[in-house]
Amino acid sequence: MAATASPHFLRARRLTNALVTTAITLLGLVALTFFIGRVIPIDPVLSIVGEKATQEAYDKVYYALGLDKPVWEQFTSYTFKLLQGDFGTSFTTTRPVLTDLLSFFPATLELATLGLLLGVALGVPAGVASAYWHDKWPDHLIRIIGLIGYSVPIFWLGLVGLYVFYYKLDWVAGPGQIDVFFVGIVKPITNSILIDSLIGGHWDVFWNAFSHIVLPVCLVGYFSMAYLSRMTRSLMLDQLTQEYVLTARLKGANEFEVVVGHALRNAAIPLVTIIALSYGGLLEGSVLIETVFGWPGIGNYIASSLFRGDINAVLGGTFLVGAIFIILNQLSDVLYATLDPRTRELRK
Amino acid sequence: MKLTRTLTAALLSMTMLTGITYAATPAKTLVVADALDDIITLDPGEVGEVGGIMAANQIYQTLIAPDVTDPTKIYGVLAESWTVSEDGKTFTFKMNPAAKFASGNPVTAHDAEYSLRRVVKMASRSAFLLTQLGLSAENVEERIKATDDATLVFEIGEPYAESFVLYALSSHSGGIVDSKLVQENEVDGDMGNAWLKQANSAGSGPFVLTTWTPKQSILLTRNENFWQDTPAMERIFFQHVPESAAQRLLLEKGDIDIANKLGADDHASIAGNAEVKTLDGSSGVIYYFGLNVRNEALSKPDFVKAMKYLVDYEGIEQTIGQGTIKTHQTFVPEGFLGAIDHNPYSLDIEKAKELIASSGVTTPVKLDAVVWNTPPYTDFAQAAQATMAQAGIELNLLVVDGQQWLERYRSADLDVWVGLWGPDYPDPHSNAKAFAVNSEDTPDGSSSLADRFGWDAGDISPRTMAALRENDNDLRRQMYEDIQLEHTDISPFLYMFQEVRRVAIRDNVNNLELGLTLSDDRYWKVTKD
Repeated sequence: MAATASPHFLRARRLTNALVTTAITLLGLVALTFFIGRVIPIDPVLSIVGEKATQEAYDKVYYALGLDKPVWEQFTSYTFKLLQGDFGTSFTTTRPVLTDLLSFFPATLELATLGLLLGVALGVPAGVASAYWHDKWPDHLIRIIGLIGYSVPIFWLGLVGLYVFYYKLDWVAGPGQIDVFFVGIVKPITNSILIDSLIGGHWDVFWNAFSHIVLPVCLVGYFSMAYLSRMTRSLMLDQLTQEYVLTARLKGANEFEVVVGHALRNAAIPLVTIIALSYGGLLEGSVLIETVFGWPGIGNYIASSLFRGDINAVLGGTFLVGAIFIILNQLSDVLYATLDPRTRELRK
Repeated sequence: MKLTRTLTAALLSMTMLTGITYAATPAKTLVVADALDDIITLDPGEVGEVGGIMAANQIYQTLIAPDVTDPTKIYGVLAESWTVSEDGKTFTFKMNPAAKFASGNPVTAHDAEYSLRRVVKMASRSAFLLTQLGLSAENVEERIKATDDATLVFEIGEPYAESFVLYALSSHSGGIVDSKLVQENEVDGDMGNAWLKQANSAGSGPFVLTTWTPKQSILLTRNENFWQDTPAMERIFFQHVPESAAQRLLLEKGDIDIANKLGADDHASIAGNAEVKTLDGSSGVIYYFGLNVRNEALSKPDFVKAMKYLVDYEGIEQTIGQGTIKTHQTFVPEGFLGAIDHNPYSLDIEKAKELIASSGVTTPVKLDAVVWNTPPYTDFAQAAQATMAQAGIELNLLVVDGQQWLERYRSADLDVWVGLWGPDYPDPHSNAKAFAVNSEDTPDGSSSLADRFGWDAGDISPRTMAALRENDNDLRRQMYEDIQLEHTDISPFLYMFQEVRRVAIRDNVNNLELGLTLSDDRYWKVTKD
């Protein structure tokens, strides 16, 4: 039967499979987070009312949060609302969780995207160079730089960076997203200050926000560069010892063609997944970077909500991060097909 | 060559960024760095976090307020004057006719009636400040009444010291809201809570709420209808900067005016900078170890006393505190009525060993100590762990997150709790009630710290309540002094330090008045050169 099925049917079946897998994964994620949230020893009521409140005040919040109902009932009612697009309200911000995510996520998205671009732009060429000059001084230098980025605590680097480039040299702006002079000027559209200031034509605000983001971006970029250069190096080392490389050289192809055109082209396939997952990791937000730079990102949002038992906020945040990973995974699958003719054939 | 040129260009373009940052904050804006991520509401009827109370105190005014230079003096704010009936149970406030809200509405006794009743009816976490006076949702309509626009009659269940009642009313939950405006925005009988919680304000204070972006910032703008002296600052911008070192750099650089959350190390390192200065204030916060007497060893008075000799108070004060704490071994904070300078304990291992021997407890003894995973608690706990080990007491430190820390102590599931207590108003009872009164003696039956640690305070409990009812200030002071001498000696509370509240500000910031509790700073008097 399968042999005679039309390509349309196959494509539809693939799409359905992907959607069902995604839905099951997200549901599983929500269920897991929900039940973990219920067993961690944090009492959300206590975190709202504090230690001095009377029992009456405690009970009032306890019932308002619906904690008197059985856990399965709380879960089904949460899931039912979620299916209607309602993430509930966060008690730590008093806003709908969706509003929170739309407000905190763009700050992380800016930082992660720019950081990853920088990381890829530096890390991939560095990894290639490192593999090409294997065990020679460029390799050692790149590996040392990578090792530092990988092993030095990022909050320490952040503080040192602030001290040198903000406090001493005055090259960049300090912690926070924007100077107080510019607060409230830009009309929020996407909630990304860089984009909104461009849309509104507020160049002064844009440059100020840019000056604030430079340092955290450099740190995130350095961190991902360290990771990507190591991964690229090891993938490239694999490729450069393959027989096809020798063949290409014997045929008289120039070195650039051999390394970039042949070896990197092959290394690129697994590299895409690595980059995609590392982007996913950055989009989760970095609590340490966000704390040092007073950056209103999703990492701190989820972490601080978790510590107060604000389960709606944690679930919303986890759902978003999970969805990002799934989307990135699917995207890298699509890219696979473009990069690897064999996968393309298989899919057909 | 090409590389050098590229590098130079890159460096130049980096330095160009400098052009769009400013070396100082705007002249009419006060920029305050603080930790704001815990604030969950700005409604004066339920506000509770330090940063939230700090912001709400700039927006809402109370009937009366204590003078920060002399807390025993109370002055009228929205109330012009007040009288107390002979039996001490009826307080009659005459409203100030000049007072008006930011909306332009006059502040009347009906607004005060609405606001105070609202706190009790909402049964919020702050309601205890009023319910401890015997008010409840059932009797509040009877006991808080505006007889006309200018007169508010406030009755309490039984007579208490006048100053105590006034202090309770001067606390953050005594903030008066514009009842007309709030009622217009009521939804499903919530008394305007949803409306006031996050996005709006309805006060008569020097500032109004413009925007609160949760976990990021709070922007207050000057109340242009303010009925008293116009504040010099047009805006107050509270910025969330959780990291102490980052606050320090921002302050030294001039990008903020006030750093509220600097650690002891950062205070030490700004000491040489002439562009910043430090203000010391009182916070009334007491750091202590609570000992659960349900544990067999801790039920022996001599053993408890031995532990009080096993803390190196002086060493901790100097090396860990560095000016942010001072040894204080009684429950009434310095600066409050009844405070005494009485620190009988110091590190004395031999004496402790003798006491342990006479208690009949055989060492080694292992005790679970629950510690909040943040300085200074972890530092205090580690220091005490080292000295207590020398007498055979092994403190097993359970370092946990803040919420678990609270929960463990509420459920009394521990031997030792490394804790703090901050008063809500500058009356000795705010602390005395917690440390020295058992629940059966309180009007609202709420349990205290003494109850949580399983301690029967004996006659100290009724004596403390008697001190609360004493109207003669000298007599009242004497009663607290006597109670504390005994309490420090026999209670399972190992008092260590009182916090010295330290705020770092730019040198061009003047007239900042720090409050009596840690969230009562008065920003409306601030000017900048």
